[in-house]
Amino acid sequence: MPPEHALVIRNIKKRFGDLAVLNGISLTAHKGDVISLLGSSGSGKSTLLRCINLLETPDEGEVYVTGERIEMTRDRHGKTVPKSQKQVDHIRTRLGMVFQGFNLWSHRTILENIIEAPVHVLGIPKAEAKEYALELLHKVGIANKADSYPDHLSGGQQQRVAIARALAMKPAVMLFDEPTSALDPELVGEVLRVMRQLADEGMTMLVVTHEMGFAREVSSQVIFLHQGQIEEQGSPEQVFNNPRSERCQQFLATQLK
Amino acid sequence: MLDLQGYGWLLLKGLQMTVLVGLCAMFMAILFGLLGAWGKFSHSRLANWAADTYTTVVRGVPELILLLLVYYGVPKLIQDGAAALGYELRLDLNPFVAGFMTIGFIYGAFCTEVLRGAFLSVPRGQMEAARAIGMSKALAFRRVQLPLAMRMALPGLGNVWMVLIKATALISLIQLDELMRNAKLAATATHQPFTFYFLASLLFLAITLVSMLVLKRAETWAKRGVRV
Repeated sequence: MPPEHALVIRNIKKRFGDLAVLNGISLTAHKGDVISLLGSSGSGKSTLLRCINLLETPDEGEVYVTGERIEMTRDRHGKTVPKSQKQVDHIRTRLGMVFQGFNLWSHRTILENIIEAPVHVLGIPKAEAKEYALELLHKVGIANKADSYPDHLSGGQQQRVAIARALAMKPAVMLFDEPTSALDPELVGEVLRVMRQLADEGMTMLVVTHEMGFAREVSSQVIFLHQGQIEEQGSPEQVFNNPRSERCQQFLATQLK
Repeated sequence: MLDLQGYGWLLLKGLQMTVLVGLCAMFMAILFGLLGAWGKFSHSRLANWAADTYTTVVRGVPELILLLLVYYGVPKLIQDGAAALGYELRLDLNPFVAGFMTIGFIYGAFCTEVLRGAFLSVPRGQMEAARAIGMSKALAFRRVQLPLAMRMALPGLGNVWMVLIKATALISLIQLDELMRNAKLAATATHQPFTFYFLASLLFLAITLVSMLVLKRAETWAKRGVRV
């Protein structure tokens, strides 16, 4: 895979017991692409995101990050497992993940949250990591909270710190798993603003979202998932103005009401 | 004024020994507790079974019996075994080591339950965030899961410590010169049982009071960042 393909996934399938959640999904994100994943709950969009960084192990399919394929094998029960956990850990450093529930480490300050992985995973000197962390905090607009603990911040602030924490690893791709769904409506804007800024700077992003405005204005590509399959895919204009699939039309009708 | 007939220093030496053996026992208890909690969470059935047996048996048998079993029973068993194979063997356990190991083993079972609950109370997302950013399982355990679990466990572990330190008095029965045994020696020698047992009980109380203060500080420290 050429490295200008920041992220390629091919024919990803995932079942939870009897329930087939993903039925063969493929997509390619070029450098700088912003792909929005839409779909009603249960359509598999969050699972797809979690299959990319192997928080869930896909049953079948391939994932390439900046051209490098995640090697998979089967264990003695026939279950698909990563061939090398080390490779997975390494590839994860190139995939920044932002969770719906923020998941900042509650026993560490904001600054400590951000430098944790650069220092302990990448081995960057603490002073250097701190300097970059403060720069990132400035960028997401909460430089004055560096020494606070996550519980003392609002949800919107916490999510912006979580974005900074992911950016501190200088990832090739950012994965956003419904980043604004847990936020009070008045706090959504500040997080979307940071995400827009990232998109403008050319960050490759995969965003699971219910924010139709964001998907429409910021995405280079919109994908609508239904029952674990890509039901509709195209530019925002195409998907929002001329959806071919009936289900996508229905979905958009309920979302844009 | 109180006349201790020169036996006051004996009590203080005993106090020192009690604190020392107690700290060693608590350290062992936390180690056994981590091991036990790991066994309970493990996917290995053997480990589950071993951990369950450990907590059930230890909590169901009086401490004193276990202590005597370890100190007198185990060496005798080994000696008899060696004799049956034709070896002459003389084995004596050090009462300090036997004492803190046994007490640590017993209270490790209580720590197991405390730590198990503490690990369960760490939100899943904390570990997920650590793994997703590229931390290995071991690093994520050390940097995220363990510190979070420990702060949840602190009140429970403090409770175990309070009971454990009193249980160390049992070690006097295997001739360790700790507070209880020295109080008894002094009481017998001076014919002042009330004075010395009363002083010993005050010293135990003092340990508990100091521990409570230290724990309170530790809990405040561990709860930094948690909004109440």
